[in-house]
Amino acid sequence: MTGLKLRKFWQYVQLIVILIGAAIMIIPIIWIFMAAFKTHVDVYQLKIWFRPTLENFAVVFDPPYYLLDKLINSTIVATVTVLIAIPVATCASYSFSRFRLRGETVMLVMILATQFVPAVVIILPFFVMFRDISLLDTRTGLVLVNLAIVMPFAIWMIKGFIDGIPLDTEEAALVDGSSRIQVIRNIVLPMAAPGLITSGIFCFIIAWNEFLFALILTNKHSVTLPIGLALFKAEEGDLWNLLSAAGIIIMVPMFVLALIIRKHFVQGMTMGAVR
Amino acid sequence: MRDHVLKYLLVLPAVVVVFATAIWPLVRSFVLSFYQGRLTRPGFPQGFLGWENYYWALFEEPAFWNSVLVTTVYSILTVGLTVIIALGFALLLAPGGRFRMSVQTLLILPFAMSPALIGVSFRFMFNPEFGLFDAFFGFLIPPLADISWLADPQLAFAVCVMADVWGWIPFLTLVLIGGLGAIPRDSLEAAQVDGANGWQVFKDVTLPQLGPVLAVVIILKSIFSIKTFDQVYMLTNGGPGTATQTLSHYIYFNGMKYGQIGYSASAAWLMVIPMIFLTYAYAKLVFRKNQQ
Repeated sequence: MTGLKLRKFWQYVQLIVILIGAAIMIIPIIWIFMAAFKTHVDVYQLKIWFRPTLENFAVVFDPPYYLLDKLINSTIVATVTVLIAIPVATCASYSFSRFRLRGETVMLVMILATQFVPAVVIILPFFVMFRDISLLDTRTGLVLVNLAIVMPFAIWMIKGFIDGIPLDTEEAALVDGSSRIQVIRNIVLPMAAPGLITSGIFCFIIAWNEFLFALILTNKHSVTLPIGLALFKAEEGDLWNLLSAAGIIIMVPMFVLALIIRKHFVQGMTMGAVR
Repeated sequence: MRDHVLKYLLVLPAVVVVFATAIWPLVRSFVLSFYQGRLTRPGFPQGFLGWENYYWALFEEPAFWNSVLVTTVYSILTVGLTVIIALGFALLLAPGGRFRMSVQTLLILPFAMSPALIGVSFRFMFNPEFGLFDAFFGFLIPPLADISWLADPQLAFAVCVMADVWGWIPFLTLVLIGGLGAIPRDSLEAAQVDGANGWQVFKDVTLPQLGPVLAVVIILKSIFSIKTFDQVYMLTNGGPGTATQTLSHYIYFNGMKYGQIGYSASAAWLMVIPMIFLTYAYAKLVFRKNQQ
């Protein structure tokens, strides 16, 4: 009987610890949500009850902030990055998955390793080069460097998905006289589609949240949302209600995307080291 | 087209992209690290200096070693704390059920947050006048009430560590839950039948079986800790003074603010060295997994 009671007790302790942990993870996010709807008076107090306002969301899109420009830049840069990375990565992943290539291991390790190269190392030469060919402060330049961080994830993730597609249908089609290109287009692509979309979303999130490259390469025309946060530092200090509103605009779309692909998030981040 | 040609054509675009966006800049940085490389002067990259930039970083610049020290302590603390807390959290959440599953889903959210935004949020949370965490810590430990966290070197460092740990716990927890799920039930049950208590089961069965996943998680987190830039930039911008200046921030500052590309490239390459070891270890783990 005491053993049973002790177990019940432990169950409750566990629940409480989980609740506290979940609260610590979620409260900062909720706090930002609340701050975004506070007036500039309320935000400088520890208020839980306040009269909500939508004004902040209007202000951030007005001059001098023009958050819409940043939103458009972020959307275009992340989208184009994904639209280049996914097809290129898909071709490579299919080949890595289905064929033995000379130097295959070397290539795969190299691709994996590039993910671990510190971004500051990559950006120095790019900055110098972009300065010389006037690609500084352009979305094109940003897409190019974003490919550096997105490609390794895309290749390893898609390879994982293609590895999971059984070979028999492909082989049957080849025996029936289909060409390899036809097989890829008619069989592999439809079957890999959910995986490709998942990988695309994952890469979109990474490109969207990217900070260091955009900080160094942009200053006016191609500023992205995370860099735009710096706009809300005024002389009188940080404008927290506006920062929070901008924060919501940055994070809510990513929350939605992350929830859609949540089952594959872990696999994507670890590049197949954990299944 | 024959397969033996096609298979190389298919990988070609990816190899070109990876070369152009990662390998080339890496090599170019290495070359630049031997030059004066001042952005603000004509004739970039100016004169060849040999190993002088490296010599300067290693023997003449206390600020370089300060950032190495900051990065090292920061990495040890963030890796250690994140892994331990995430392991505890994973053990608590692994049994499943509706409640635990919804908490797991919730964990995705902080991980989808931009690190820069995490930095901003924590500056907000630790504001001495109206920060929520400041109020919370002030309530728990009265001497900390309304303290100016980011103006004190140690406390600013602690806030940076907290922001990092907060941002990474969800991801590590989810990976470890996956790892726990892969442990065969029989081995756990066998140990329980043998009369092992909870701790013994954890120590003798769970932990050894979790070993490879833990290794992955520790290496991955170490790499990201050593590279840390975004949150620190947004939280403290390396300050007060250089108390929270990580290596990435130091390189950024010298390269972009002072225009010393050559020198910062050499510091950047000194940073690549530990990465090579970690990447090697990580690649070994990945390929072992893939060959099974």
